[in-house]
Amino acid sequence: MPLNRDDWYDTSRDLEWTLSYVDPEVAFPTRWSGAQGIPAEAWQAWDEPFRVSYRDYVRIQREKEAGVKAVSNALLRSATYEKLDPAHVAASQLHMGTTCLVEHMAVTMQSRFCRFAPTPRWRNLGVFGMLDETRHTQLDMRFAHNLLRHDQRFDWTQKAFHTNEWGVLAVKNFFDDVMLNADCVEAALATSLTVEHGFTNIQFVALAADAMAAGDINWSNLLFSIQTDEARHAQQGFPTLAVLMEHDPERAQKALDVAFWRSTRLFQNLTGPAMDYYTPLDQRKMSFKEFMLEWIVNHHERVLEDYGLKKPWYWDDFLHSLENGHHAMHIGTWFWRPTLFWRPNAGVSKDERAWLNEKYPTWEENWGVLWDEIIRNVNDGSMEQTLPETLPSLCNLTQLPLGSAASRHDLAPHQLVYRGRLYHFDHAVSKWCFEQDPERYAGHQNIVDRFIDGQILPPDLTGGLAYMGITPEVMGEDVYDYAWAKDYAGTESD
Amino acid sequence: MAAFPITGRFVGDFVPHLVAVDSEDTLDEVAAKVAVHSIGRRVARPADEAGYDVLLDGRVLDPTATFGQVIAEHQILPLQWFDVRIREPKLPAAEPGAVRV
Repeated sequence: MPLNRDDWYDTSRDLEWTLSYVDPEVAFPTRWSGAQGIPAEAWQAWDEPFRVSYRDYVRIQREKEAGVKAVSNALLRSATYEKLDPAHVAASQLHMGTTCLVEHMAVTMQSRFCRFAPTPRWRNLGVFGMLDETRHTQLDMRFAHNLLRHDQRFDWTQKAFHTNEWGVLAVKNFFDDVMLNADCVEAALATSLTVEHGFTNIQFVALAADAMAAGDINWSNLLFSIQTDEARHAQQGFPTLAVLMEHDPERAQKALDVAFWRSTRLFQNLTGPAMDYYTPLDQRKMSFKEFMLEWIVNHHERVLEDYGLKKPWYWDDFLHSLENGHHAMHIGTWFWRPTLFWRPNAGVSKDERAWLNEKYPTWEENWGVLWDEIIRNVNDGSMEQTLPETLPSLCNLTQLPLGSAASRHDLAPHQLVYRGRLYHFDHAVSKWCFEQDPERYAGHQNIVDRFIDGQILPPDLTGGLAYMGITPEVMGEDVYDYAWAKDYAGTESD
Repeated sequence: MAAFPITGRFVGDFVPHLVAVDSEDTLDEVAAKVAVHSIGRRVARPADEAGYDVLLDGRVLDPTATFGQVIAEHQILPLQWFDVRIREPKLPAAEPGAVRV
């Protein structure tokens, strides 16, 4: 009589070697495991709730794959893509270019769990995570490849991370740090717990809902399918946090505080503009801030409470940033649009503006007045005044523009000198993150550093675009060809 | 002559810019090089032509001084943050005995 899964699962999952020919520190170096200061037996408490066997995993994933591909194949034969709103298409190109290769980076992180995690339970779960992330990369590639015949910008799904496009550099910098440069414990807290269990909700659930409303069933279906995997392998974060809280709670608090801020800043760039500006007005479900408050803030507060952690010291700054940060990222990306590989939507027609003011009571004073000047130039035909002539100054931690974490009224220098070099930060919190581990961040060069270092030639916009890999056929331009500005023609913006 | 990169913020705009200035530039010229990236692009052009002030650490610098003199007098590293703002109009000289409020 065959055994039931529960009869053999623990024996299989917990299989461990007793090392006698090699020092355990050599086989599992703490610089990779992250287990420093935690006794080996503490990891026996590490457990996960999914209890998936390899056979179960393969069966379930096969069914998921069949579902995604059936929808995709059916839609390929229809004219669904041609009916999509171009601003929504821009959101999907932004997502694909900045996310696909992150999935591929996550394969490496999960394979580190497989090899170096301090308990066999975690190492076995990492195998599923590794296969998940391989699947996500391939799903994205397949989705984008099918759309290349419509728009070459989908080529950036694969290409983006092989360029120096500055937004992509900021994304890559973050995930290099929390996936590839992090030991297993830190990666589990920063990536599994904070990014995957918290923030991917906004990237995969919120965007999937918006995509479905926009009629993009194919992309919505793909995002939901990916999220089912994320929800499972993100579980690696919780038992890791539980062990750390028992033995090194200060380290846990600091790692989560840094990861939560850096994730917030990144998703203000990746998701905020897509939700509040690119998604057509009648198809928006929630504002970015509403979604953050309901899904991310509640989630993070619950995690903190459940495990006895304090709220980050910067909680009030974080809430203030929710009102402003993504609006800054949006006007910035739109203004520097020749440097993008997607076509941004300004999203400030009169109706859209009324929605922004309803959702964000300070929007008009903080952001509307800046758009007024842009609108005036568009309607006067002074298009050269709607385009940049230099780079914005960038943060040496997030690599995002200084000023993009709050409003123009909050803009102030946050800087320090470290080993003779002046570093700038987009917020006091980013400066604090840098100060926690300066050697970790000090060597990085953002695009401004590379510019003044002579790496970008000729040292002008043309040289910058060439350095970023931007070519004329993908170069960002207003997605509606400025039709939204006609709302204000002859009336002044009011 | 020597080019020098600064972080130039025009007060009222949401973002500072990378601006290349020259050691022989007067601070009026530095102000203009910073302002051009904000004024008339995202910040409305001021009604009068009072010009712009350059501030370092909150202090207004002499507009006739050269940037080279600023480097000599202060410890200025590449990408030093400078603020530029619309110059406040000078008040007329007060009459003797008048009380200014």
